[in-house]
Amino acid sequence: MKLIKKYIPLTIVFVFGVLTLASYYIPHKVSVDYLELVSQWENIVYAFAFLLGLVSLFLSHYNKIARKGDGWGYSIFVYIGFFAMVIPAFMSHGKQSTEAGLTLLGWSFRYLYNALSSTMFAVLAFYIVSTAYRSFRIKSRQAFVLFVAAFILILGKVPLGQIIWDAVLGWTGYHVTDVIEWIMSVPSVAGKRGIMIGISIGAIVTSFKIIFGIEKQYLGKD
Amino acid sequence: MIKNKLGFSLFLALFAATSVFAAKPSPAVKNQTPAGAIPPITGLTVIDMPYDVGGTALLKWNVRPEDKPELVYQVYVSSLDAGGWIKADEFPADTRTGKDIELPFWAWDGSDKEHVVKVELPNYFGEAQSTGAVFHFKVVTVKDKKSYDSEVVSGKTVSNWFRLDRLNNLVLLVVIILVFFWAVSHAKRKGLFIRRIAGLDAIDEALGRATEMGKPIYYLTGIGGMSGISTIASTFILGEVSKKVAQYDTQIKIPHYDPIVMTVCKEVVKQAFLEAGRPDSYRDDMNQFISQDQFSYAASVDGMISREKPAAIFFMGYFMAESLLLAEVGATNGAIQIAGTDQESQLPFFFTACDYTLIGEELYAAGAYLSKEPMLMSALKVQDFGKFLVMVSVFFGIILVALGARFHYDRFVQVILNLFGAY
Repeated sequence: MKLIKKYIPLTIVFVFGVLTLASYYIPHKVSVDYLELVSQWENIVYAFAFLLGLVSLFLSHYNKIARKGDGWGYSIFVYIGFFAMVIPAFMSHGKQSTEAGLTLLGWSFRYLYNALSSTMFAVLAFYIVSTAYRSFRIKSRQAFVLFVAAFILILGKVPLGQIIWDAVLGWTGYHVTDVIEWIMSVPSVAGKRGIMIGISIGAIVTSFKIIFGIEKQYLGKD
Repeated sequence: MIKNKLGFSLFLALFAATSVFAAKPSPAVKNQTPAGAIPPITGLTVIDMPYDVGGTALLKWNVRPEDKPELVYQVYVSSLDAGGWIKADEFPADTRTGKDIELPFWAWDGSDKEHVVKVELPNYFGEAQSTGAVFHFKVVTVKDKKSYDSEVVSGKTVSNWFRLDRLNNLVLLVVIILVFFWAVSHAKRKGLFIRRIAGLDAIDEALGRATEMGKPIYYLTGIGGMSGISTIASTFILGEVSKKVAQYDTQIKIPHYDPIVMTVCKEVVKQAFLEAGRPDSYRDDMNQFISQDQFSYAASVDGMISREKPAAIFFMGYFMAESLLLAEVGATNGAIQIAGTDQESQLPFFFTACDYTLIGEELYAAGAYLSKEPMLMSALKVQDFGKFLVMVSVFFGIILVALGARFHYDRFVQVILNLFGAY
């Protein structure tokens, strides 16, 4: 049992981890073919896992409806939404448009799915405003620095702000666009690179932990 | 020591030989000698582009004093023994030398005394035919609407076995692996001091609050797949959080974007409940698949948060535009929020909407930090070593490059830049 639950999975992880790592240094056709093959396997596994996900989704919402749990009415919309896309897809043979124009699937995609997706994305604009309000509350020195940088950026992006800057700080000889460019290309990039270097090193070390079997929580216990 | 040196020399010799054999220069075949004012080009050879998958040929010939901007070179390629020429490139005669090939000094001896032109054969003959077959090349010199053909040279390209240009990367990798194993063995013998991470210390507080309020906690792994490092790190944290959830006997809900991640998380949570001695409290519907569409997922989870008003929400993993859509709704509903992502573009949103945010590498460190297992914690020391190495390299790199530039040691500056370059 330990062989199946522990040693075989760890060997698979090690072998594929090392092969994939080596493929970065081996440009040969064999290496390219290997990466393509692994990618195809991943797609096949993914297709089966998606079915698993779908079953999980349907079961959990079915249970909710059967139990009449809180908000069970919303669960009905999961099935309505699913069939509203799947039935037209079957009827249109998976095609969104033909020579005659939009199919039922194309219509559902454009006027239901796209409209709902765009609405959700548009909500983001309102959330950004409320988040900006929260971030502008100066509670610490760091928050003050953030506020000043953000304020200059906002000021410099509108003509009125540029006029105000020229009237108040024009004597310094620096135009607001110069200051914005400096903020974006010096402190902002420096901070980003610091984070990115840390992330890259962390990713390398995490990969080693998995490849060499130090981290094996995902396998469960022996 | 001598053995090591010998081994290293053999290693270098092997790869030097690989690159030499990969290049297959062929003798030029005399075809046509141009008459007129422009002398024929000399030293025309074709070699295989080193360190690539194949399909790219490098055409080389000597730079002449006549190579002025008004003179144009046209490069032709053919797969036939006679005729069938296809124009592959055209450029002014004072451009394209060996120095323009972007390879480091240890892998390429770039000289400005010869023209070097890459010819990507798959663009003209398809992927399958480009490697292994013999191709013919010629260079046509054009001046004042008169053209002069060079001799025809032939050669083939091969698939190479080693990216010698990535040798610096490989050396760094070997060093990190050695440090990694040193840290692991060191951790077994001695304990390691790890600084406190406020966001992770707050997990107990968040779970305690959820227990007192009798409300669930939400754990979101983001929209990344299982191949993403941040998602993997997120599953490690989930294991530790689930253990505490089981101990506190509170509820956890994990809505998923990716079905594979859901399958892994189910196993992780089940295991955590087992380890906490509460297998009876585990339910299969703790992990729930929502949708593989970014905004459908965000809308659905937003709805769940608004209805159930969880006491704590964890955002750990890969997040994009939905980060703020989710975090803002959580904040509005009064949940304690702890976030961690390696997407630096989303960090500002988490900073403003969440109570604690793990920045990039802290996300990777979190699983080890929470587990307190010495073997896992040793990896944090490797991260520190990596950062130290980067800091030292940046510090001395800046000084050396600045000094080199100041005193016009161009070759020296190039060497430093090559050593730290990515290829």
